[in-house]
Amino acid sequence: MRALFVGLLLAAPALAGPPKKAKLDLAPLAAALAGDDAEQAAKAADTLGDAADPAAHEALLDALALGPPAPVAVAAIGALAGHPAPPDVSALVRYAGHRDPSVRGAAIGALALYPDPVAQAAVVHGLHDQTGIVRGAAANAAAKGHITAAVEPLFALLAKGEEPAARALAQLADPDLARKIGDQLGHVPEATLALCLGAILKRADFGPDTARVEVVHALANLSDPAALSALTDYIDATPKTPPRPSRSEAEHAVEAKIGGGK
Amino acid sequence: MKRVLVLCAVVACGPSAQFRLTSSVDNDRSQVAAALAARQLPEQPTPENAARRPRVFVVIGGPTKQLAAYDLAGGNVLWKVPADVTSRVWVGGDFVVDIEQGQLVARSQQNGATRWRVAMSGEFVGAAADRERAYATWRVAGTASSWRLAAFDGASGDELWHADADGQLGAPAAQGGLVYSPYLSQWLSLVDGKTGKQLARLRGLDEQISIVRATSTTAYYGSKRGMFVLDARSAAGSREGATYGRVQIPAQLDRASYGRDLYDPIQIGYTAADRARVLWTGEATDAGAMKLEGDRYAVHYFRYVFGFSAAGDLVWAYQHPRVELVASDSTGAAIVGLGVDGELVALDPKTGAVRATTQLGVGSPVLGATFDADGWTPGAGAEPADQVGALVSIALDHDARFDRVKELAVTTLAKLPGGNVTNALLSVLADARAPQKLKDTVSDLLARRRDPSSIPALVQQLAVHADYITGTQPAGLGGLALDPADVSAALAALRTHLDAPSTQTADLVLVIAAMAAIGNGEERPALISHLLLAHADDDLGNDAAWSQAIAHALHDHAGPAERELLRHVASDPRTRPALAHALAEILAGD
Repeated sequence: MRALFVGLLLAAPALAGPPKKAKLDLAPLAAALAGDDAEQAAKAADTLGDAADPAAHEALLDALALGPPAPVAVAAIGALAGHPAPPDVSALVRYAGHRDPSVRGAAIGALALYPDPVAQAAVVHGLHDQTGIVRGAAANAAAKGHITAAVEPLFALLAKGEEPAARALAQLADPDLARKIGDQLGHVPEATLALCLGAILKRADFGPDTARVEVVHALANLSDPAALSALTDYIDATPKTPPRPSRSEAEHAVEAKIGGGK
Repeated sequence: MKRVLVLCAVVACGPSAQFRLTSSVDNDRSQVAAALAARQLPEQPTPENAARRPRVFVVIGGPTKQLAAYDLAGGNVLWKVPADVTSRVWVGGDFVVDIEQGQLVARSQQNGATRWRVAMSGEFVGAAADRERAYATWRVAGTASSWRLAAFDGASGDELWHADADGQLGAPAAQGGLVYSPYLSQWLSLVDGKTGKQLARLRGLDEQISIVRATSTTAYYGSKRGMFVLDARSAAGSREGATYGRVQIPAQLDRASYGRDLYDPIQIGYTAADRARVLWTGEATDAGAMKLEGDRYAVHYFRYVFGFSAAGDLVWAYQHPRVELVASDSTGAAIVGLGVDGELVALDPKTGAVRATTQLGVGSPVLGATFDADGWTPGAGAEPADQVGALVSIALDHDARFDRVKELAVTTLAKLPGGNVTNALLSVLADARAPQKLKDTVSDLLARRRDPSSIPALVQQLAVHADYITGTQPAGLGGLALDPADVSAALAALRTHLDAPSTQTADLVLVIAAMAAIGNGEERPALISHLLLAHADDDLGNDAAWSQAIAHALHDHAGPAERELLRHVASDPRTRPALAHALAEILAGD
């Protein structure tokens, strides 16, 4: 019956092939998932998500097709993302527009796992959301999915002082992007900019060191106390040997700040 | 020559009353005709002043009040003198009169110098002037119910005559040697300006007589309800037998009147009432109702002037830049107005085209002005007013005092065809500072608007969504009436709002109804998805209006599979009560 309903949906995934034999006893789990006890439904979703059986995954998709209450939807989305599969995208995109922000955030977060351009577009769309937690989820997803199309709206959010955007940009930054971030002085709240640049310096995979030096210089130009903290954190986290110019520059910058610029 | 006449001494002489309730014959046609025939009127409308030049006399505020005269045709200042004017200015042949420090003061039109002064002993009611004389009416001091109308020589200030009344007199008006003196709100005495003799008297049978407007060639009288042309037919005393006219004044302009209330002591001076005027010129007619020249009339309403057809349709609009027009008049060939800032504008009464603008260079705010410009025809050939542009400008005006005028503007706009008009109305919805009541009005108007050329504009409007980064918000979607003739783009645009979490529930109801109305089945998958996604939602699923909308949208024309789906949702324990009820109710009829 539910397959019939699902077939009525434009956005519903067209799952190919007959139902596969489940190792789990899916029937009671599917019944619990469709029941009116939200707690039991969420538990059932978790159980199904833990299963590697494709039929469990299909049960989750069927449940999502019929629109469970928000807490159950969040659990089902999380469970679905445990074993990402291409047919999930259309279901998740549908939930990325759910009226409940927690559901939207969960769906957008899950979409980070899918390289599908449709999924990435939904993540970028989430950066424009009216609700902060959804934008935050979208920013995290953009970072997690390395979605380059998200860079421009992330800059817009950075200018509005949004910390998740700062962290996401830091994760996405290569030397060029880091330079561009450093050039935002005057356009972005300094504390947010310092957070972003500091997060870049914390990345072990960010380099070469000349790029780190540029980031240090950008931090040195900031007057917000957060810049001093970021530089200090970088010095503390970086061994003295082998000598690293970026660390030395950071020390000079800290001395200059503490010494009043002398 | 300056003279001071102490009128209280005259009062003490105790003259006989000229105006009495029973001492006159009212509405005598032959008397009225004879009195009017005695007027010395020009062949063509012309200014009252001896030079026959269009002029405006302006009272200017500031630390020291000033009185100034301007030649409208030449665009130059004739003179400007310090003068503590506390009344309006009345224009004679080679002089003007006003009230200064409680005295009736005459000034030369040549240079503004004081010519004479008359001290008043009593409560001033009003004044008037013709080419040779000034007239004043006042309530006599020390008496309970005695009023006096007196005439003064324009050159010397000598009192020529006076006439007393034992009932209230209104402010007089003068025209061609006659004085029109309102009496007890019901009568209008036609008095010989030279002798003070009452030549005829009109009695209003249908209406009060509280307004008199005299141009160089025609006089009108009446009340806030309507105006009569003063002619021999006035002797009928009634609307039916006389030359009567009443224009349609939109409710939004309800403060507008045909002229100053001659019994209102406040309106002796320039007041806000001067900023809300019906402006018209009548055409001569021997029978029937008053005929408006060019079948047009205008309403000056603070910053705005609206032109109407004789049938009451708004045909043009003018918005004065930044400040209010403090004075206005109809010269016959033009509507003239003067702004607080001294900017003078002349409009074509038929098209609203700006025929002339002049900055008078007043220096301080204008308190009020009197035009003496009858027949003035400034400029010509100007482009007709951009009605849509003017109405849009009015609708988007952020001056909160004129919300009702904005309502008139959008109501008029909605009657006009074209996508540009629809865009204009949508721009009101998009204006964050526009009052909500106005937006509601616009929404209603859009809903009723049936204009195929508006579809692209409406679809474009639907493309606007709530966006945190760009800061955009969709305008209220209520009222977007979409024609089924061009639905594809509209349906796609509506779907984006159906799926947008930021769409308000009230708007969702409209979106669902619109999609169902135009979709021809194409909308059903989207609506089914929407139903399933929201059936367990605490907000939507408990909203009766949304529940009814989605249930009806999907039940109408549903196939067997869709009915089964609706039955399933209705029986799903997770479905919220309002939706379950709506579905059960509608399915019960199957």
